[in-house]
Amino acid sequence: MLKHEVVVVGAGLAGQRAALAAREAGRDVAIVSKLHPLRSHSGAAQGGINAALGAEDSVDTHIYDTVKGSDYLGDQDAIEFFCREAGPTVVEMEHFGTVFSRSPDGSLARRAFGGAGFPRTIYAADRTGLALLQGLWERLGIEQFTLYNEWDLMRLVVRDGRVQGLVVFDRIHGIFEEIAAKSVVLATGPAGRIYGRTTNAHTCTGDGIAVAYDAGAFVKDMEFVQFHPTALLESSILITEGARGEGGILKNATGERFMTRYAPHVLELASRDVVSRAIVTEVAEGRGFSGPYGGYVHLELMHLGREKIESRLQEICDFSRHFAGIDPVREPIPVYPAQHYMMGGIGTNIRGATNLAGVFAAGEAACVSIHGANRLGGNSLLETLVFGQQAGKAAAEYAAGAPATQLRAADLEAVETPLRAWSSRPDGEDPARLRTEMQQTMERYAGIYRNEADLFEGLKRIRALRARFERIRVVDASKVYNLNLTDAVEVGHMLELAEIIFVGAYARTESRGAHARTDFPKRDDAKWMRHTMAEKGPEGPRLSYTPVAFTRWEPKERVY
Amino acid sequence: MPADAISAKFDVRRWDAVAGGAPRYQRYELELAPHTPILSALLRIRDEVDPSLTLRYSCRSAICGSCAMQINSKSRLACETQVGPEMDRHGRIVVEPMRNQPVLRDLVVDQSPFWTQYDRIEPHLKLDPAHPMPEGRPTSMTPEQVERFKETPRCIACAACYSACPAVEADAAFPGPMALAKLYRFVVDPRDHATQDRLVRIQPNGLWLCLRCHLCTEACPKDVRPSERIRDLKEMAIAVQGGTERGSRHAIGFKENIEDRGLLSEAKLVRQTYGAAGMIGQLPQGLRIWRKKPEVLHKPRRIEGADELDRIYEALDRESEGAP
Amino acid sequence: MKLAYYPGCVAQESGRELDMATRWVCRALEIELVEFPSFSCCGSGFVDEANEVLNLAINSRNLAIAERAGLDLLTICSTCQGMLTLANVRRRDPAVRARVDAALKPIGIEYRDSVHVKHLLRVLTEDVGLDAIRSRVRRPLAGLRVGAFYGCHLLRPADEMGWESGEEPHAFEDLLGAIGATPVDYRGRVLCCGFPIQFVKPDTASRIAGRQILDAKSHGAHAMATPCPLCHISLDAYQNQAERAVQQPLDMPIFHLPQVVGLALGATPEELGLARHLVPTEPALARIGSSSL
Repeated sequence: MLKHEVVVVGAGLAGQRAALAAREAGRDVAIVSKLHPLRSHSGAAQGGINAALGAEDSVDTHIYDTVKGSDYLGDQDAIEFFCREAGPTVVEMEHFGTVFSRSPDGSLARRAFGGAGFPRTIYAADRTGLALLQGLWERLGIEQFTLYNEWDLMRLVVRDGRVQGLVVFDRIHGIFEEIAAKSVVLATGPAGRIYGRTTNAHTCTGDGIAVAYDAGAFVKDMEFVQFHPTALLESSILITEGARGEGGILKNATGERFMTRYAPHVLELASRDVVSRAIVTEVAEGRGFSGPYGGYVHLELMHLGREKIESRLQEICDFSRHFAGIDPVREPIPVYPAQHYMMGGIGTNIRGATNLAGVFAAGEAACVSIHGANRLGGNSLLETLVFGQQAGKAAAEYAAGAPATQLRAADLEAVETPLRAWSSRPDGEDPARLRTEMQQTMERYAGIYRNEADLFEGLKRIRALRARFERIRVVDASKVYNLNLTDAVEVGHMLELAEIIFVGAYARTESRGAHARTDFPKRDDAKWMRHTMAEKGPEGPRLSYTPVAFTRWEPKERVY
Repeated sequence: MPADAISAKFDVRRWDAVAGGAPRYQRYELELAPHTPILSALLRIRDEVDPSLTLRYSCRSAICGSCAMQINSKSRLACETQVGPEMDRHGRIVVEPMRNQPVLRDLVVDQSPFWTQYDRIEPHLKLDPAHPMPEGRPTSMTPEQVERFKETPRCIACAACYSACPAVEADAAFPGPMALAKLYRFVVDPRDHATQDRLVRIQPNGLWLCLRCHLCTEACPKDVRPSERIRDLKEMAIAVQGGTERGSRHAIGFKENIEDRGLLSEAKLVRQTYGAAGMIGQLPQGLRIWRKKPEVLHKPRRIEGADELDRIYEALDRESEGAP
Repeated sequence: MKLAYYPGCVAQESGRELDMATRWVCRALEIELVEFPSFSCCGSGFVDEANEVLNLAINSRNLAIAERAGLDLLTICSTCQGMLTLANVRRRDPAVRARVDAALKPIGIEYRDSVHVKHLLRVLTEDVGLDAIRSRVRRPLAGLRVGAFYGCHLLRPADEMGWESGEEPHAFEDLLGAIGATPVDYRGRVLCCGFPIQFVKPDTASRIAGRQILDAKSHGAHAMATPCPLCHISLDAYQNQAERAVQQPLDMPIFHLPQVVGLALGATPEELGLARHLVPTEPALARIGSSSL
């Protein structure tokens, strides 16, 4: 049996930063990742990372913008800590080797982002995530650690009140393994693939959140799902907010710059939830364009000129040209909102600790919460690094004081036995089919606008899909890179999380941030200024609520 | 389905390292819009036709580097390659795993040779204790200094270049285009203090095995242009170390060879590269060629205006001496 | 048609058969070749490795010589074609241009970007045209299966060379078809011949050459043809070493591009210098006119 002091699951920015922190604390560290660390979805982040480094800017303004952006559901103590760490974090990444874009004076270049009082977003062209991922992987490469590459997380073993280790699946060799661990950091990213239209990678299937939930962790605020306003039509590939930060504008089919009606002051740079709802409303009310891939609006960059577009928005130029056959220098980009980010996740404190002793979480898989009901652009990359480091440090400290852990053969069998049944069934449910139906259900019933009847119907359908999942069947019999099997596992994870989203959204009878109920259009601070906590029960998720932490900022109506 | 849908034919190479046996090509046919990415088509095959087809993929937007494979013999990202042009040109789409890495199954290869070469160039900043990073603030770097990285920070390590490289195919010692482009990224980084050492150490079984065939530059989905950065590294390596390797001696020798008369003297070049003693080893082959082509031993004529060439050399030697 | 003839170094010495064949073919097709004894070597890619700007400068000088005569430039070597084209293309970067021009100024040379650099393969397929060539064929190469071998610098980087696809060209195959031969489709046709590292690591270079020949052979080629005399050295003069590297006999006749065209247009083997090859071409010649595959 394999054995490590700290095991980090997921190797995007949060996981890598956690592993580095645990190494810096002198612990024996292993990373388990279902894809090579440099292929992590962190690398797809385009726009930038926030830090109030400008002379006219301040940490307090960053805090305020984040609190307001969260629609007052973010925990203000966490947000204060988060924003104070921003500067040092960005500087550290620069020192690690990240190649950022620069201003003529040699300082880090900054651009404007939605919901921010000042140009605060530090960037590397429009591939900031990739630049950070490279810089961090290069720095981590100096350290000694074990990488279990292309291994899937199957189960977290929690016994005697603390974590004992995990059961994993080696995709390449098709075998199950146990890894004893004194502490575990879950940094497995989001579950965007629950939705059909998503900017997320195919691998964003919420494995860590689902596995933690199965092991008894509280999952927090899952009903808050961010839709990015500008995803490329058809493929839903992200067109960065940086495109609007650089001066891109949105127009409907009548040629109107419609954001003048929704956010007269900041227009296209209003918070993401505001812009997404505006686009959906325009299309729903007949002012959008229409085509074989549905309704859409135009994102125009042409007026910025070829040079600016091709230098600062190089990747999205390529995306538009390769994936939509559109040249943004000459023509508008067809866009429509798509699922982009999950504010919710495994509930943690500022140090990344969950309710399970020895289990920590960070990044998009976790919910501290700093994004509350809506995340600001440029805050997610920062979150991965700030709280990745915290979780890694805390996990290292915990491991240093923890006695040896013990796994049993039964722990592995508990995973392997049912999976073997999936492969030996003569007939049963097809993972791809269940996934498609789940995605359609989420799109239709848990999208940008929600109401009681839809949520009720959607929950019913997801539960029906979960019942069908009991008869899941894997037809591929190969031992090598059996995607049919991992697909089935991932669909199981996503269905579990889909149910939590519906239950939480159904219960929350208000509109706040990304959670927009047409039947409850107002924010209801008296009743709902609190976090949803979901715990696994025999009949499905059991909800409870915890208060939001306040320090200095009183809730106000959010106007842009 | 859009009105312009075409009937796309895929011949996908299937093989399983555990099951063994001979590889086979499986035909799949789908009705698709011409702009459909080949990755989308393969995923549709997986979802609707054959769940046992296996491949690596993740972001579907050419940023994670997972889905490099051979498409009609070209090393490409499947997510960024469209069905229409391939069907137009070839009448079918042959999909095979990348080259130069052992196949595990179907389109999935063992990438360890690629990562081993990546590690060889020590891909991390090397600092000089005498020049620590500035305390609490970022290093100052001008946009011009960032320009020197060229497009190398765009590399997504997809290994398409490694798959396309005939030097890798013929000689496992060669680091391959990606590792060398990555090396360039560190060599030009003003924060790195190991430039000279890096340039010295990458020469044996390294830089000079590049064939400058530019197949990597064709394959690269991010316009990193590895072959051109390898050229840059060669020039820098000569500047640092002169002609200590056969490759650098050959390049310098060639440059000096033609300065003389304006045209190449073939026999002299052999001497310049191998040295007088090393030439003995070349004798048998030289004789074979000489028997059919006695001109190999000729001294070429001196071109008209050879003095102009001299002066160009002088001007650019002066310039390079004056360079930092 | 009148072109400045840039033979390159090899065709003037050990590869004289290429020069002979070129002159024969151009005479037959009424292409007037204007010679300039002042042309220098193109640097063959090696000068580029040592000093990029120097490479651009010596080739800008070559281009300026043709420019003064008001002629476009004909090359007969993939590498010459590549290096001379680079001199045109890289000048688009103002910083590079300034350095090149500064080096040329003291010798009174100014290059004004007007010269098109064209390889013989392009002149034959585009300017002369396949129909014109077809109409002049006197001895179709029927029965001869030929593997075209392009030579890297003719094609790549494709965005800089500005002609054929870098990986899927077809001009040479089209031409082979026009002269009655059967082009062989094989992957190695666009790969490297190994020449650039012949001096660095001969075993590896020979293995590369050997693999491409073997690839052509396994696809049924009776002969290979190349528009590059450097590839010809690797594939012909060093074929014995390639055989050692791949541990099997290859016996692959290697033609220069104008030799196969010349044969079809009626030239004798003597006029094309075929006896100068190290690998005998007779087995291939014997196939012409036969219909066996």
